[in-house]
Amino acid sequence: MTELLISGLFVGIPFLGALVCLASWSDTYRVRMSAISCPVISLALIVGFANRLPDAIDGLLPLYLLPIGAVVSALGQPVHQHHRLAWTMSLVFLGLGMGTLIGGHWFGPLCLITLILIVMVLLYRHHTTLWPISWWGIGSFGVGVAGVILSLVTEPPISSVTSLATCAVLLPLMPFHDGYLTALTRLPGSLPPFIVLLLPVLGLHRMATAMPTMPNEFVAIVSLLALGSSLYGAIKALAQSRVRLLLGYGSVSFFSILWWFVAGTHTATPRAAVLAGAVGLATGGLLIAWQVIRTRYGDDIDPQAISGLASAMPKYAVLLSLLGLAAMGIPPFGVFAGFMGLLLTAPPSSTIGLFIALAAWLAASWYIMQMVQQLLFGAYRADLRYADLRHPEFTSLLIVVLALLALGLAPTSLYSSKEIPDRTVAMERPVEWTR
Amino acid sequence: MLVSLVLSIPVLLLIAAGIVMTGGKSPHVTRAKVGAVPIGLAFLGAIGVLVLVSSEGPVTIRFYDPASVASFIIPIGFYVDRLSAVMLTLITGVSTVIYYYSTSYMFQDRHARRYLVLICLTDFVLICMVSSGNLMMLFLFWQILSYLLYLLAHNHVHPGTLAGAFKTFTLLRVADTAFLGGIAVSYQLYGTLEFQELFARAAARPMTLSILPGLEVSAATTVTFLLFIGAMGKSAQFPLHLWLPGSLFAPTPVHALLHAGIINAGGFLINRLAPLFGLSSTTLHIAFVIGTLTAVLGATMMLTQNDIKKTLGFSTIGQMGYMIMECGLGAFSLAVFHLIAHGLFKGTVFLNCGNVIHKARQEPHFPHTDHGDEKAGFSRLTWSTGFVTTLVIPLLILLVTHGVLRIPLLESHGTVIILFFIWITSSQAILTLTRLRTVASWKVSASMLLTLLFIVFVYLFAVESFTAFLYPNSEEVASYFKAADLADWLFDLIVVTAALMTIFGWTYLYMRAHGRTVRIPIWIESFRIRLYTVFLNRIYADELYKLIGSMTTQLIHRIDKLDRGWSR
Repeated sequence: MTELLISGLFVGIPFLGALVCLASWSDTYRVRMSAISCPVISLALIVGFANRLPDAIDGLLPLYLLPIGAVVSALGQPVHQHHRLAWTMSLVFLGLGMGTLIGGHWFGPLCLITLILIVMVLLYRHHTTLWPISWWGIGSFGVGVAGVILSLVTEPPISSVTSLATCAVLLPLMPFHDGYLTALTRLPGSLPPFIVLLLPVLGLHRMATAMPTMPNEFVAIVSLLALGSSLYGAIKALAQSRVRLLLGYGSVSFFSILWWFVAGTHTATPRAAVLAGAVGLATGGLLIAWQVIRTRYGDDIDPQAISGLASAMPKYAVLLSLLGLAAMGIPPFGVFAGFMGLLLTAPPSSTIGLFIALAAWLAASWYIMQMVQQLLFGAYRADLRYADLRHPEFTSLLIVVLALLALGLAPTSLYSSKEIPDRTVAMERPVEWTR
Repeated sequence: MLVSLVLSIPVLLLIAAGIVMTGGKSPHVTRAKVGAVPIGLAFLGAIGVLVLVSSEGPVTIRFYDPASVASFIIPIGFYVDRLSAVMLTLITGVSTVIYYYSTSYMFQDRHARRYLVLICLTDFVLICMVSSGNLMMLFLFWQILSYLLYLLAHNHVHPGTLAGAFKTFTLLRVADTAFLGGIAVSYQLYGTLEFQELFARAAARPMTLSILPGLEVSAATTVTFLLFIGAMGKSAQFPLHLWLPGSLFAPTPVHALLHAGIINAGGFLINRLAPLFGLSSTTLHIAFVIGTLTAVLGATMMLTQNDIKKTLGFSTIGQMGYMIMECGLGAFSLAVFHLIAHGLFKGTVFLNCGNVIHKARQEPHFPHTDHGDEKAGFSRLTWSTGFVTTLVIPLLILLVTHGVLRIPLLESHGTVIILFFIWITSSQAILTLTRLRTVASWKVSASMLLTLLFIVFVYLFAVESFTAFLYPNSEEVASYFKAADLADWLFDLIVVTAALMTIFGWTYLYMRAHGRTVRIPIWIESFRIRLYTVFLNRIYADELYKLIGSMTTQLIHRIDKLDRGWSR
């Protein structure tokens, strides 16, 4: 009974916030305040009561991260009436996300279906000449919905396979990554920085239940797909000149590495959640940082046209550099910790696979560094108007950096009450690394 | 006492950074000077640690539970033994000088404050790296150092500096990735990243890995080879040396720190993991080949450069090659001795090279290169000195090494090869003296001879004492030499080639000095000129790097275009 009440609170508060937003629609400030304060209340409740919830396989970290993601995405967006929908929808998404994470056998999938359908409607309605409608993306989410429905009405292993298809849409894996990329590039206002955290975290949560029941042959195919996808994401990211696509493909590459590790161990541990959460947060943070540039220089600004921000916008420069470091997997941030944690505890299924994963990790040093360098360094341009971060923007980016730092430094036991099995065993005999 | 002293060193460096970073802009010069005090205190602390560690033994400080290293991803802990203590002293000592020098050197720079903070942070990272308690912490600071090197380029508005900084970062990341692979494999195999445990388990459980079907490699070789690539990056070994000349736009004190401290990281890593490297002859042989190649290429390119910073840069690459070659021959302690001596020397030279450049800009005739007023001729004295130093002294060294120091030369390939390599390089240096004309007086010759004798003997005795200090167990030292032993035919080939090259060089120059014609086929002469052009252009490695970069970019864009039809 207590569990049900707590779950109801976790899910209900964001919806209550969304209702407040609708009630005060004409007052833009109040809508924004509601979009910020409700996730904060949710976070406080989670901190207070999370230990009374049954521990999920992937730990409690996703529960903590979702409200943080919602707060920072709302904070990073300037006050404008055009953003009211995005703020309200981020509360709805938060509520549905919570429902997916803590909901039972029926309520969780129902929340997920609703969430995906809302995303599809938003994608159908919101497109511009710069980012035209993407039927591939919308169709990809359709596969996600079909996967959830089929997993409810069929038995394993078919239900596991269909469930995994949904996971591949949410936690992007080639060739199901188009939905994720479309959401990241087309969703309005503050939604993309939140959605890049929300969808992968939900995908991992579903994968944690589906993966252990997967047939071995299918897991081998997933492993191969994951390796291909990690290289594909890295190559595509290296080729992009548009920041949102660069970040999108970059995160696809990292999420694919996560798929490879999870497929290798047949389970999604709390360490996998660290990597998923950290990559999502870092990508979200970089999207907010790019949003800062778009706010100042226009939506369709070419990053090549900007340089020398480091001397004129020092606060922005420091935070963007730290976010860049975090996103490319440099310690002591969460992406490194998650990657390293998986690398140490999940025995690699093949040597070649290990080197492909490392190559994808290495590629991030090129494309992210190039982007950060392009914006921050180079010649100071007199024709550009430089304005450093405003307080909400600064707070938003700072929270992301601190959260990433916490993910990197805190022991995994902090967000998982279960004893983490250490899969590493010092080998007593010669090992066969090739499969 | 020892624990507090060890912990105080990084804390003092952070305090120095804090002093420079905080406060308003107006009195920043005073704060910058005050910042030197904690760094100086850190140096004194390092000396204290060196003394205490020498007498009391190594100290271990852990802020984590070693049994759960993977759940606590970043295990902060310190392990300070004699090797670490020596490195602590070197780094803090050099840093104190460099920092104080920088406060004046960067006085009028707009971003002097940021620069000084970065210097303090780099020192902090270096200190934490050399006193790391486990492989994971070492790697953590190793990576941060790669990024700090990018930031220390300082003038990010200048396109050349920016390109150099980017190249530095990306090349170092390549090496870092191999290092990461080494850590992952070693943890998978041995289940620990704690140094002592790792060494014990690796020695107790020899294993082989099937890397590819039909390709079996020993576990120790796999781990050490990957870690060695990491070391190659930081120590600018061929072909990962390109970042070092590319970073020469950075302020001069940064070079002093780079060449005196940061670049030694590779040598330190191999020494820190000496028991592990000692288990793999293959990796040691690879290190020997890479080191020799880097030493030869670096030194040759140094001779052909016409820019003082590039000359010094390639000199460092050559010296680092020498150091890695020593490691490859099992002479780990010699490599540490070498890196200390080289660090002190190169730091001093770099701090002075700014003045030389400044002076050259002010005086058109500086440095003086015109020797037209000197009389050409054959100096018997100079040639006698050359004969003694190149052909007699090596014999003396061999006798002293064998007879007085009782180093069993016949049983140690490594020692002999190092001695022959010393012979060939010192001969090359000494034979250059024969080009001197009017200054070839008896005083000069005598002082050169005495200095050379002094240096050679001090070097030999000092190295021997230093080896005993760093590795008190002589059997351990012998085992490293044994592991690095080469095949007999290769050993003979190296020794004979070294001897022939020296004698040939000596004869050739002697004949030319006497005005005799040395018949050299035309194709050799034209090849020599072409070779000069190649080395002047630094074996076109930068161009090759650019070509590979542009080809990769083209390929990536082609793949991207292929995919555009259906993606998104």
